[in-house]
Amino acid sequence: MNNLKQFKKMFAAQLKLTLREKQAWFWGIFFPVILMVIFMVIFSGSSDTEFESEIAIVADNPNPTSEMLLTQINQLPILNVKTGEPVSRDTAEQWVKDQEVDAAIVLPESAEDTSFVLVVNKEDEKGVTTQALSAILDKIVQQANLSAVGAAPTFDIQFESVTSGSNELNYTDFLLTGMIALSIAQGGLFGMVDLVEMRRKGLIKRLRMTPANMGIFGLSDMVMRLLFSIIQILLLSLIGVFIFGANLYINFSSLLIVFLIGALSFNAVGYLISSFSQTQNAYMGVANIVSFLMMFLSGVFFPVETMPDWLQPVSNILPLTYFAEGLRDSMVYETGVFSSTLWFGIGVLVIWGAISFLLGSWLYKRKSIVATR
Amino acid sequence: MNVLEVKNLQKTFGSIRAVEDISFSVEAGEVFTIIGPNGAGKTTTLEMIEGLVTPDQGEIHFGEMNWGNHAVAIKMQIGVQPQSSAMFDLLTPEENLDLFATFYEKARPTEEILELINLTEHRKNQVKKLSGGQRQRLAIGLAMISDPDIIFLDEPTTGLDPQARRHIWDIILELKKLGKTTILTTHYMEEAEKLSDRVCIVDQGNIVTIDTPSALIEKLTKEREVRLSFLDGEEAANEADVFANNLDSVSRTELEGTTLKLWTIKPEDTLLDLFKFTKEREYQVEQVSIREMSLEDVFIAFTGKEWRD
Repeated sequence: MNNLKQFKKMFAAQLKLTLREKQAWFWGIFFPVILMVIFMVIFSGSSDTEFESEIAIVADNPNPTSEMLLTQINQLPILNVKTGEPVSRDTAEQWVKDQEVDAAIVLPESAEDTSFVLVVNKEDEKGVTTQALSAILDKIVQQANLSAVGAAPTFDIQFESVTSGSNELNYTDFLLTGMIALSIAQGGLFGMVDLVEMRRKGLIKRLRMTPANMGIFGLSDMVMRLLFSIIQILLLSLIGVFIFGANLYINFSSLLIVFLIGALSFNAVGYLISSFSQTQNAYMGVANIVSFLMMFLSGVFFPVETMPDWLQPVSNILPLTYFAEGLRDSMVYETGVFSSTLWFGIGVLVIWGAISFLLGSWLYKRKSIVATR
Repeated sequence: MNVLEVKNLQKTFGSIRAVEDISFSVEAGEVFTIIGPNGAGKTTTLEMIEGLVTPDQGEIHFGEMNWGNHAVAIKMQIGVQPQSSAMFDLLTPEENLDLFATFYEKARPTEEILELINLTEHRKNQVKKLSGGQRQRLAIGLAMISDPDIIFLDEPTTGLDPQARRHIWDIILELKKLGKTTILTTHYMEEAEKLSDRVCIVDQGNIVTIDTPSALIEKLTKEREVRLSFLDGEEAANEADVFANNLDSVSRTELEGTTLKLWTIKPEDTLLDLFKFTKEREYQVEQVSIREMSLEDVFIAFTGKEWRD
């Protein structure tokens, strides 16, 4: 039997095994899709609507200053003044207490008075709305100050971000690439449980009794796993792009390299776990811990930069951090194959993969006497 | 002609001496059975012969071939059914056989094997849905897919019901008809007695004895256990007991209600005398039996141990 024919038959068997393994489909396809959809619905759904706030205005003693400020506030489209007119301080405070308005702005009592009061509910003191309101108010005060001394603003900040790609990274793109990275990583981490089962049931021993080429057997298994991961990428990308409007600008050669190296590395980590796990449960326990840690520390759902400083060094050694970044670079920023950041990440993945594989192989060899008993 | 020759095999796992010194040779076409209690070293011996475990000492020859120089060639010529009937549970019997067939240079047609192991009906069911006996038959089928000359069956009937065991016996006898050499291990004396040309008794990593089942039984004392039960109550049994004890051929007796058990080296003479006695007294004998010596007795006689299943 020549090698190619043997490979074809073994691959066909692997294909059937994978198709019939319901767990693989649940955890590999269904679960990542659901997880991604949930995150996307929760975190990117509201980001389209702009900031708006309902407030009350208190102007108990109308005077030129308060008149001027009132006109300014009324011009801001993001602030809705309840009932459209100033109300008494008591009414305003009651509204704040009842949370009918986000805040009440008390305008200066006289033309000489220069202080405003921002009344907010204690519960919302640290809320985003309060902070935004106080920032807006601050801006109004500044402008008022400037106009009071008759000066025009000299400096102005305009917010702009720059990326190497043609598009700014929004959360949908971020989450989509993160989820793809996570799914492939989990495929590798959890997938090698088959090896534990095969060893426990004596199937590896059984195959060693035949003249079967175990190298070809391993290769057919690996090709099947890569194919499964490609299905994951395609499915998640399609859902991300067509349902949630993600924008992908893919550099295919970078993607291919990152994908292959990443998938192989995580399979190697799974292989390492399988080498010291006696049972399926033991394997799943270890794989779950590893996967859980990486899931939240590797910038899959939130950027690594948003984490506490002391935790970031941990993220910076985890392989998933670099895999997710590599996928973002190649799928969103269209980073070419010659980028040094890309290769730094690939280097880290290769180190993880190589060490895991060598350590795993060593453990397998060392235990071979016990395993064959 | 010897197809397999094993000389002075030794294997130690840590502090456990699994195999101390085992030598035997197997002839073409015979069913060679290794029996012994758990932990006797049966499986380790087989695994050394199958090339899974490297012996600490000793030689294994398949004709001119040995594991050091002809590993692939040997694997092409032997078929193995290991104790754990390991196969792909999510594939069907047909798919398992087809996959294993690709491992070998030559293979028998899958339909033929399915026929032989009587699984044609279940060819399209996933293995996980098969019964224990069906799985075991498939495991034997997988061992036969390459049409090997030597087949190793490691406890093929352990844990099966009598019907399923009989199915497997039929397969083994079928293999013998085809001229294959079978090396079998078993827990069941009855099985070894029924199937084997030669039996090798192993205990504590050593061979106790090797011979044909009947010769082994022959080697034992000629004493047989005879049982008679009487319809006329305990009194009749008592009378017969007294009579039997006076016969020269009877070494001892035991009385259990209306049943008399006695041990004799000349069962025919003893029975003749006993029947004369009962005829005279007009006692009615309900049952008579002479217990055959089994390999179990052989095992106990040779090792001085109780047989443990």
